[in-house]
This record gives sequence, C-alpha cells and structure tokens, in this order.
Amino acid sequence: MVVAREKPKPLTISISPEAAEHVRHFARMSGKPDSHLRVGVKGGGCSGLTYVLDLVDEFPEDDKIVEEHGLRLGVDRKSYVFLAGTILEYSGGLNGKGFVFNNPNARTSCGCGTSFGV
Amino acid sequence: MERPSGRLRCTGEDSLDLLNRLSTNALMDLPTGSGAHTVLTSNKGRIVDVIFVLRQADHLLLLTGGGNEARVAEWIDFYTIIEDTEVEDITSDTTAMSLMGPSAATLLDSLAGPDAAPAENEDAAEVAIDGVHATTIRRDVGAIPAFDLIAPGTDGPALREAVTDAGACPVGRSVVELARVEQGVPAFGAELSEAYNPLEAGLQHMVSYTKGCYIGQEVIARLTTYDKVQKRLVRLAWPADAGVDPGSKLMLDGRQAGVVTSAIRDPRTGNGAGLGYVRKALIDAGAHLTSADGSSVDVAGPA
Repeated sequence: MVVAREKPKPLTISISPEAAEHVRHFARMSGKPDSHLRVGVKGGGCSGLTYVLDLVDEFPEDDKIVEEHGLRLGVDRKSYVFLAGTILEYSGGLNGKGFVFNNPNARTSCGCGTSFGV
Repeated sequence: MERPSGRLRCTGEDSLDLLNRLSTNALMDLPTGSGAHTVLTSNKGRIVDVIFVLRQADHLLLLTGGGNEARVAEWIDFYTIIEDTEVEDITSDTTAMSLMGPSAATLLDSLAGPDAAPAENEDAAEVAIDGVHATTIRRDVGAIPAFDLIAPGTDGPALREAVTDAGACPVGRSVVELARVEQGVPAFGAELSEAYNPLEAGLQHMVSYTKGCYIGQEVIARLTTYDKVQKRLVRLAWPADAGVDPGSKLMLDGRQAGVVTSAIRDPRTGNGAGLGYVRKALIDAGAHLTSADGSSVDVAGPA
C-alpha cells in the first residue's frame, strides 16, 4: 500500500515519513547507521530510465541536498531534472514494492515501477 | 570490400553496463577481445539499430549501421546520466574494409601472421599488416567468413594496397549487397528500422531472456510469451522481368501479405533477389506472392 502521498513543492524532491523511517532501518541493518540516502537515475530498464538508490557516507560535492524528516537526501545533479517534484514513498506489505518514486516527470513506467520514461 | 558501418569509441567504467541496459543481448560477460551483436531498442521494442560491441582493453569499439553513428551516439548520450561513459564518433578518423569469402582467413594469416584471423565469429585480434596496425573482427555474413579491418584513417590506402597485393579482389557495394541478401542478413535502413522489432527481423539470437531489464524488454518478452510476432523477415526471389523494388507491396489473394525491403538483380542469372517481411504463416520456402504490378515473387525461406 502506498501511503502519505503529499503534494511536493515545485522542483524539490520529498520523502514521506514512512520512507524516511525505512531508509534509517536499512541503514542500521547495513551496519551504516550514520549513512545518507543518495538517489539518481541511470539509463536503461524497460522504459528507458531506472531509479538508483544508494546509502553513502558522504555526498559528492555537486549533489543537491534535501533534508526532511530528519534524513539527509542527496540527489545526483544530472539526475535532478528527471526527478524534480518526485515524492519518495514506501510501499510495504506482502505485495509491496518497497521504495516507490512518485515522479511527475514519468510519462511511462514499467510493470515493476523501477523504470520510467520521460 | 567495404561494408557500411559507423564506428564509435566508448570509454568509462560504466560503458558495458550501460549498453547492457540499453540493448537486447547479454554483454556483461564479454571477455576482452570478444564482441557481440546486440539490438538497441526503443521503449516500444522497435529496432533503433543493431550494433556490434567489441570489448577492448580500455574501451569499447562499437560498429553501428552505416550512416547511423551520430544517431547511436546521441541515443547512448541521452541515456548517460549518472554513468561514467563517454562516446566519441571515430568514423571519420578510421578506415574500415572487409575481407570476405572462403579464402579470407588464409589471406589474412598470410598478411599478418598465423592466427591473425580469429577462428570464432565475433572475436577480434590486433594485427600488423605492412606496418599498419589494425583491429580485425570476424563478422561473418551468414555462412560466408568475413573479417573487418579497422585502422587509423590515414592508413587506409596502405592497408588497401597490402590486401590487394596479397590477392584480395576489390569488389563494389553491389557484390556486398548481393552476398548480404543471399545470406538473409538484414541491414540498417532497409530491414532494420523502428518499423520492426528484433523478433520480426530474425534476431532472436541477439536477445537475452535472462539478463534482466533493457529498454523495450517488457514488449519483447510479451511478444514471445504470447506468440504475438505477426510477420517475419524472409528471402525472396523473382524472375528477371518482374518490377520489384524496395517498398513494393506483396499480395496474396488480393490482400497485402508483406513488403519488399531490399531488392537486387543477380548478374549471374539476371533474376531478382531480395529480402522482405511477410505474414508469419508464409515464411516457409515456396509461398507464391505477387508484387503490385502482378509479377510473381516467391518466398525462398526465412532470413
């Protein structure tokens, strides 16, 4: 179930409270409780572009940094144009998809939701 | 002889991974010195181009469809976002020719030493021919052995002279085209375009169903799973007096059954030969179709 959908501020990237909590959980489980979430986009995937999520100790210098719900989120600068306005949410439960990008720039998405086209 | 192709140099540690995600074939396990043909597909599963990816020590060499190098470079560049990848068009800085025929390997070995000619299709070797350094890539044309020689552009005349002095017979595009059509090999711009998908073009051997996602993968997987491929590339034959050209419609019982994509006259017989797409039920040799002017066109078999 996808919850807590909020209207994003223009040209920002938001993270829902549930998603932020799951990021912290995964960071603890990975043995890196002080790490930060970095998001980006890479080429490929069924629809042309694929979301990338990573835990990093520090952000590259030119990343765009967003802070929300006690979490620091770094966005790859070249990926930002594809992600502006996105809300990162978490879909839990047996049939959940895990982290879900609600991306207003995505004109098409693949079945599993990890790939999109603009 | 010259086989139409564009040449790109891809550098950066993410290049192979990126191409693996943009195209149909499994590229990640390519050893250095080996290559593979793979299809760049749109998100609708249609053919952007068939490229040959050769893994070299510190970069990838890409061979594209003839004249399509700028479009392929642009395509890769569009999807290069977070990746460490750079694409350089080296078509005009390099020269390319092909040695083709049953004696091609022997001739290449005589020029560049034993084992200069790779024994396996899609393998490559670095060779020196009369002081010219070249990359040779075995890319057979159907059942005909063929070796591409790629060298710096300024070495073109010397390389050409060396291979002709060794006994290679220079041939023009029409001979290359005749061999291609007879062997049922699709070409960019004729059989390979966004009007068709890789399964229609007979490129199943370039499609991996196990490597994971690439652009257009869902469409191609669905076409396969539900057996939804409607037409297939075939070899065609027609008599000398038939008026058949690329684009000619092929009819059966008053309905369009296909289209001609390549047409050439065989100077040995005067008859016409070609390639085209026909309805899937008609791909076996022997189907009799007619062109729009009423000429008889026979399906000679799958491409």
